[in-house]
This record gives sequence, structure tokens and C-alpha cells, in this order.
Amino acid sequence: MLAYVRLEIRRTLRDLGFVIGGILMPVMMYLLFTNIGENDGAWRTAAMVGMAAYGAVGSALNTGGAVAEDRAVGWLRQLRVTPMTPREVVTGRTLTGVVTVLPSIVAVLAAGGLVNGVRLAVWQWAAVALLLWLGSVPFTLLGLGNGYRLTGPATGVANMACNLGLAVLGGLWFPTTLFPGWLRSVSVYTPTNRFAELGGAVAEGHAPEAGAIIVLTGWLLVFGSYAVLSYRRRAGTV
Amino acid sequence: MTQRDEDTDEDTTAVSFTGAVRAFGSVRAVDGVDLRIGRGETVALLGRNGAGKSTTIGMLLGLYPPDAGRVELFGTEPERAVRAGRVGAMLQDARPVPRVTVGELVGFVASRYPAPMPVSRALELAGISALAGRRVDRLSGGQVQRVRFAVALAGDPSLLVLDEPTAALDVEARHVFWESMRGYARRGHTVLFSTHYLEEADSFADRIVVMDRGRIVADGTGEELRRAAGGSLVCVDLAGRTPDALALLPGVRSLEVVAGDRVRLRTDDSDATVIALAELGAIRRLEVAPASLDDAFLALTSSAEPGTGPEHRTSVPLDTVKAL
Repeated sequence: MLAYVRLEIRRTLRDLGFVIGGILMPVMMYLLFTNIGENDGAWRTAAMVGMAAYGAVGSALNTGGAVAEDRAVGWLRQLRVTPMTPREVVTGRTLTGVVTVLPSIVAVLAAGGLVNGVRLAVWQWAAVALLLWLGSVPFTLLGLGNGYRLTGPATGVANMACNLGLAVLGGLWFPTTLFPGWLRSVSVYTPTNRFAELGGAVAEGHAPEAGAIIVLTGWLLVFGSYAVLSYRRRAGTV
Repeated sequence: MTQRDEDTDEDTTAVSFTGAVRAFGSVRAVDGVDLRIGRGETVALLGRNGAGKSTTIGMLLGLYPPDAGRVELFGTEPERAVRAGRVGAMLQDARPVPRVTVGELVGFVASRYPAPMPVSRALELAGISALAGRRVDRLSGGQVQRVRFAVALAGDPSLLVLDEPTAALDVEARHVFWESMRGYARRGHTVLFSTHYLEEADSFADRIVVMDRGRIVADGTGEELRRAAGGSLVCVDLAGRTPDALALLPGVRSLEVVAGDRVRLRTDDSDATVIALAELGAIRRLEVAPASLDDAFLALTSSAEPGTGPEHRTSVPLDTVKAL
């Protein structure tokens, strides 16, 4: 299965759409948003975590697009007539998704540290990266659910809608303090908001709230079930 | 056939279908297939588009469980045989796998099997050694087809299943392909391929299984199929005779008037037919030719209802055969 993960990671990194949308775009947007007009260091740090989270969500969802594509070209079907079991294939795919969010996170954090002069303790850098990485798992599962359920083009649209919608609603692009009150109260229940909060708390030097962990765990279960149901529905027909 | 000698059958049977049925919605794509393929055989599954070939192959690979009946590979469920690495397959309509090189792809698939052949050997057999470093999604249609052949071969499987393997190949590539396939079959492997090219089935298979509307309508060597469909064609000028008089001659199975005053008789026994024609004095421009396999195929899969008398059976004009 490791060989399968290696192969799929290699294929993902050769995907121009992934490299641009998942790595370059968040970096560009981060640098743009933090270098227009007056900016203080706190915003540069907060935006860094937000954009790293945004990139991670995009990359995590991208895994679903890759699954839809592999279904469409017959690659998943070809795998079914090799000795690989369906379980190995879907686990390998999930692991690939989990690993390929790392470049997005690392790229934005690097832009923060190297270009924008964000200064954090070593443990904070490590903890931010680790929490963003772990926190992206629900989004990988959401992407897989879309990828197994929908056709290739529909998966692209669904992923884009999830990505933009959840990013804006969760406050990854602009701080939720700019939102009207009612929207702010919705925002705290979005997975993206709580996801960014994981990293944001550490960057500010304290542990994330229990509420963040609870909400994210809830979404992990929801998206996980969605992925399993979508996969089951598809399993016999790929 | 499967009832007799269960024990020895298990050792010598690669593929076995028993009353297998598979429907998609209201269409019975495979409608009661009984088939046994022994180890080491090279078998062609021949039929028009929509005859049920791909569904049969899908059932064989465990992709479609049968709605009724049973399908076994090497005496076990297809899925288990596939998991054990005994099967390699080239599926129809697969598009190139994006963003992977030929060498990576074939190497990866080979590494899934318990006893694969060296990747270089698989590439060589498929005639794509020079393409190892190229990306699969940047190759031509014919090259991609050969990559898929290499993928099927890579695990050195006992049973090689090829669904319309030459569909995108030009004449020369086709030649190379069949040479490789034969080399593989000669090493004792079982090969099943589907095709709608009659010449391919005749030239490269030991045995041809003809499918039509989800059923097997004929099973034998090319020679046997030709015989089954009426071994020879005898043509002669009518010279004023009524065709009906000739339909009753010995050996004649069907008859067709061609070019106004000429008749073509399909016969099981051309000698007897010719002698009878000679006795009638009907020998003007007499010609005897073996039935072509095209002709046999048409006769086997034509829409004639079983039980219709042979005399006035409508034959499809031979010039439409080429269009197949």
C-alpha cells in the first residue's frame, strides 16, 4: 500500500492544478492580503494561519477531484483487477490526501516566516503545522465523499463550492470580527473556523479551546460517514 | 461437462461459467452462458458490439457478480483468483492514467503481484521499451493501448484477459501485438481475448466462442465454425431453372439468387451437391468455394428464428460482410 501512496503522491505533485490552487494561490493571497495598506504583526500572523488553513482545505478537497478523475479514466477499475483489495485502495487514497496537504501548509508558513517576518517560537511553528495537518483530515474525507459520489466535473464544482464557501464563512480570508453578529455565531460552527482556530490559538501562545476540538471532531464524524457511504455506493461499480 | 471429474477439472480448468446471467436494468447482457476454458488455451470471444462480450469479461474478472448461475476462475471465486495475482487484464475503454510515466505505472502494477515479470520484460513484450520514461497521458492512442497490454502482462499472470485489445492499433502495431500475445500463450498461459475482427479470432485463437445477444451461439475452431455454418458455397448459373428445384439437392442448406440468373448454394457436402447438379446438367459457370469465416459468423449470428426451414432463409448479401 505504501507503493500505492508513493505513486499517488507523485501523481498529485505533478498536477498543475494542485500546485497552483493548493500551494501557489494561498501563498500569493497571503502575501497580497498582508502587504496592502497598513498591517500590524498580529494580522500577518493570523492571516498566515488562515491562509495555511485555506490551502490545506483546498488540497484536502483536491484528493476528491483526483478520485473522480481516476474513476473516470478507468484507473480505479484497473486497480480492481490487480491483487490490491478495495480497502487498500481507499485507505491508500486517504493517506495520499492526508500527506499532500502538507506542502500547502508548509508553503504559507514559510512565506510568513521568511517574507513577512512572522516570529514564533520553534514549538509554536511545529505545533501550528501539526495541528493544521491533523485538522485537515475532515476536509480530506469531505473531498473523498464528493469524489466517490459525483462525476468528475460535478466533483470539481462541489469541491470549489465547499472550499470557497467554507473558507469565507469560516473566516479564513477575512477575520470574522468583520462579520455581522448573526453570521459570526454561525461561523463558530463551521469546520473551517475551528480548523483555523487550532493553529491560531497556538500562534497566539495558548492551547486551542475544547469547543474547537469538539466541533472539529463532530465534522470529522460527519464527513467520515459521508465518505464511507459514498464509497460503499460506488464500490461495486468503479 | 463440469459435472464430470470435478477433481481433475479443478486442475485443468482456468475459467468456468455455469448458467451465468447478468442483467443491467431490463437488458440481459449475459443470458445463460455455459463455458469452460482449459488451462493453456487461447480463446477468442467473438461478437458484434453489444453481444455481451465485455459483460462476460467483467463477470470473469469479478467486476460484475452473476445474477444467476456461477462463475469460477481456477476453481474459486473470480475475486479470490484476482487477489491471488493469477489474472492480468486489459479492460476496454480505459483512458490513459494521468501524470505517471510508463515505467512507473507498469512497475507499480508489477509490484502488486506475487511473482511478476521484470518490468523491462513487460515493456519489451508490449513493444514500448523506448517509452519507459514518457508520461502515459502524452502518448498516442496506439501507444497507450500497448501500455495497457504491458500493465496486463506485468504480473506474469496465469490468465490473461484482453477486452478488444487491438481496437486502436494500426496494422503494423497489431501484428507486433499478436506476436507478443502468442509468445505469452506459448509459455503455457491461458489467454482470453474479445474481438469483433473475425480474422483475428481465426488467426490467433485455438478456439472461437461466438456470442450473440448474451448467449454463446457457437464454440469451436475456425474450421469447425465454417463447417457448422455450411462448409462450402456452390455457385452456378440457373439457365432458366427455378431456384426451388435446386434447394432440394443433397447437402444444400440454403440458397440465394445472385445477379438475376445465378444461384449460390450453401452446402454441407459440396461433392454430393456438385454431382447432383451435374446430373441435372446445371453446370454452367459452376464454382465451388469454401465458406469464409465472415460468412459463417453471419450465418451464426443472423436473426433467423430457429426452426425456420433452410430453403428460403434470407441470407445477408456478402458485400455487407466487409462492413463488419
